[in-house]
Amino acid sequence: MIEAVPGTEVEDLLRRLAPQVLGAVVRRYGHFDTAEDAAQEALLAAAVQWPHEGIPDNPRGWLITVASRRLTDLLRSEQARQRREDTVARWALPGQWLAPAADRPAAESDDTLILLFMCCHPALSMASQIALTLRAVGGLATAEIARAFLVPEATMTRRISRAKQNIKDSGTPFRMPPGPERAERLAAVLHVLYLIFNEGYAATSGPSLQRTELAGEAIRLARMVHRLLPGDGEVAGLLALMLLTDARRSARTGPGGELIPMAEQDRSQWDAAYIAEGVALIVGALPRGATGPYQLQAAIAAIHDEAPTAEATDWPQIVALYELLMRISDNPMVALNHAVAVAMARGPQAGLDLLTELAADQRIAPDHRLDAVRAHLLEMAGDKLAAREAYLAAARRATNIPQQRYLHARAARLTDGQ
Amino acid sequence: MKYMILTYASQQDYDGMAGKAAGEPAWSAEDFAAMGAFMESFSRDLAESGELVETRGLAAPVHARRVQLHKGVPVVTDGPYAETQEVLAGYWIVECDSFDRATQIAARLAKVPAPEHVAARAFADVRPIAESQADLEL
Repeated sequence: MIEAVPGTEVEDLLRRLAPQVLGAVVRRYGHFDTAEDAAQEALLAAAVQWPHEGIPDNPRGWLITVASRRLTDLLRSEQARQRREDTVARWALPGQWLAPAADRPAAESDDTLILLFMCCHPALSMASQIALTLRAVGGLATAEIARAFLVPEATMTRRISRAKQNIKDSGTPFRMPPGPERAERLAAVLHVLYLIFNEGYAATSGPSLQRTELAGEAIRLARMVHRLLPGDGEVAGLLALMLLTDARRSARTGPGGELIPMAEQDRSQWDAAYIAEGVALIVGALPRGATGPYQLQAAIAAIHDEAPTAEATDWPQIVALYELLMRISDNPMVALNHAVAVAMARGPQAGLDLLTELAADQRIAPDHRLDAVRAHLLEMAGDKLAAREAYLAAARRATNIPQQRYLHARAARLTDGQ
Repeated sequence: MKYMILTYASQQDYDGMAGKAAGEPAWSAEDFAAMGAFMESFSRDLAESGELVETRGLAAPVHARRVQLHKGVPVVTDGPYAETQEVLAGYWIVECDSFDRATQIAARLAKVPAPEHVAARAFADVRPIAESQADLEL
């Protein structure tokens, strides 16, 4: 008798195997675009069959066989159609293919990394990189990705097939990028994972502030990359940053979905296990040579997470870390956060002075967050009238409804107090 | 002396073996199993007699890539074969006393169990292997 298997167990297994299966099929047969469809169909078949019929002895082998068969089918009808239309699939061999293959033989575990490098290929737009990574490496269906990004499924389908076509056209071979290129490409992969996390943690549009599945998926993928590259400090830093940020998730919104700023959050609600894991990761990564931006941000998040209250936070240390971060990344959001930390360490006026300089930066001047920070600092300084105006200005610029509600509430509180 | 025994099949034949009716009846599971068992014993006998050097079967023709120069640039064609075109499907390299012995080995393949319409058009080729450039100048 075959025992039924819980659906979630099957789903976890399938999501874990997804990149391995696609990697194995593309490595053997090529055709990344068609193989990706074939692998998705194999995952779908398993998701339907396994909960009732049980998980096969070798689930990875089962999936690879089914995906390979499906690929043969798909190629067969594709080629038959092309011959009917007299459009033989011909592609110029890219110059790089003619160079001798000096690379070491690839390990099985490299497949997932190679897939990530392909999905985050510079020939693709950022939106396409994100969508393709979630599908080809994350094993998510197009409908799920569309839902997470609040776009129609047809739009997401087009985005993904265009991305796959671009990869095909780029002629990227299925192999590790050569040495010097690898670091650059890994940075692109980490950036995509970071954006997926942020999209989940602070949705940029729509009624729901946190689309937690996306944040959870980004953490899952970052864990996977960390397992593959345990010695890379920035990978560890990114995973730590995600865990240390996500640890505050449930304390970050109130019962009505309203935003609660960190200073007012109930810190007993923070996820102690995530904090412990994130701190251990960052403590392990920091002494290992060059410190990158993800490690610095994780170190800042760790200081916040370990402080018993906002006041008892080691603000001078946070200021110092932001200054290091500003030296390696020219990002106005970093400068904005630095201004907040300076205000907490040296008083609101010191922070407001920095904001005046920052307002000249056109990358952040139109952003609601600049006004929101100014409002907070003005409120700290006791200038209620100016603070109220700044909150209202921020609310006009915010695109996300909970954020607008939060900013209006702050403004209203100042009016009531007068 | 080394010889290569080559067998051929079209994409249509591969589809049939995989149980898909593509323009003609598909193989039954029994047909396919019987063919597999025959091939196994065929190769095992050759290994036991010491005549087998190597044998391989090839994946379906749709997975083939052709590389050729096109206006001076190397160009790849995916799936270059027509669906009914008979292309190399597998081979044995045997080392034996004579061309006649190699032909005798290949003739056993005529007994491979297969659906009638497949058996009717099946064939195997036997070709002497050129061991050196000198062999080609003969």
